[in-house]
Amino acid sequence: MLIELTVNGRDVAVDAPPDITLLDLLRDYLNLTGTKEGCAVGECGACAVIMDGRLVNSCMVLAPQADGCAITTIEGVRAPDGGPNDLQQNFIEYGAVQCGICIPGMIMAGEALLMRNPLPTREEIRMGLAGNLCRCTGYQQIVDAIEATAKGRQKG
Amino acid sequence: MPMFDYVRAKSVAEAVELLADTQCVSRPLAGGTDVLVQVRHTPPTFQRLVDVSRIPEMKIIERQGDEICVGAAVTYTEIIESALLRETATCLVEASRLVGGPAIANAGTLGGNVANGAACADGVPPLVCLDALAHVRNSAGARAVPVADLLSGPHETMLQRGDLITHFTFPVMPDGARSTFIKLGRRNAQAISRLNVAAAGALSSEGRVIFARVVPGSALPRLRRFVEVENMLIGERPSEALFETAGAEASRAMVAVTGRRWSTEYKEIALQGLVARALRQVFTVEN
Repeated sequence: MLIELTVNGRDVAVDAPPDITLLDLLRDYLNLTGTKEGCAVGECGACAVIMDGRLVNSCMVLAPQADGCAITTIEGVRAPDGGPNDLQQNFIEYGAVQCGICIPGMIMAGEALLMRNPLPTREEIRMGLAGNLCRCTGYQQIVDAIEATAKGRQKG
Repeated sequence: MPMFDYVRAKSVAEAVELLADTQCVSRPLAGGTDVLVQVRHTPPTFQRLVDVSRIPEMKIIERQGDEICVGAAVTYTEIIESALLRETATCLVEASRLVGGPAIANAGTLGGNVANGAACADGVPPLVCLDALAHVRNSAGARAVPVADLLSGPHETMLQRGDLITHFTFPVMPDGARSTFIKLGRRNAQAISRLNVAAAGALSSEGRVIFARVVPGSALPRLRRFVEVENMLIGERPSEALFETAGAEASRAMVAVTGRRWSTEYKEIALQGLVARALRQVFTVEN
């Protein structure tokens, strides 16, 4: 079936089977492999993307459900010059990235949180990341990086 | 060949018509947080998913006279963000906050939680605590069923093929009533409930209990109000001793149904504590 959606600001139309997930659509049909498959059952958040302004696990969204929606993936998060944006830069500076597989989901969860709550407390950041697992256990640095980004954006 | 087809319904009438199609076994799809996990593990028993997640009639949250109406396709996030529900259904809002991380809360729906029929569902004890009715439509008509009566056992509901839960209604609680939800999981976030409790209550002007609801979740094969505990509270003055006694009574009532199982040694102490804690939250008057 034809699925029409906006991905990272670009309108796309994809002919895909109706029984695949949004994750498969992004990775296998649009070659956006930055979004990772971890558990594939909504436990780990590695596949998190922003759909119409809300964080979702793309492994639990049926691809045709995204028809007509605006999706932002990790490929859509960047500075105007194409390099890392402030959140991504802070992940690097605060040592928040270890093996890296959870990081696309962590960045999307961080961006989704800051969109709705520009200056979250550390507790609110933890709640915002509640659905994202990091098995290298680098949570403190991830929280630090999101907190620093929020403060940086306040200063403008 | 795809395992199943997909169609998006624009209205309840269209969804009911699609679900009634005898040529094609259909199942409603809302947030997908249960259905997509199930099809990953076992071949689907349906040929088509009817997406009901964007039907406007199923997205309402409003007060209608003395009742609150919540559409079945309302997500946990929409429940959390509703000022009306924060005021009138604290237990439902608290349960929605604890159901999973933000991505689950953004997708999962109240109707899906009930239709999935899991004994550990976080959205269901609050609905039973609020005495909610589930409004079900099919091609033959509409019916309203108490949420507690819709659930026949673990992962079993009274819903038939072609049925669609469209919305829930519950009476506004008495003046001054408060409600809460407490959950015990293996970790603080994104955890399946091992046990949970939805509770509500109100005091008379003399400080005696005039309204009490206690609904433990994940405790019994069929969810229900623990009327024996509620009756014990009515007319009493809230005290630590009362909360502890009520907790003990809840555990006794649970074991009377389940018998002593491998988990009883843990659950009987845990439920006692959860019920006492829930009642403390509901009845403790802040100065």
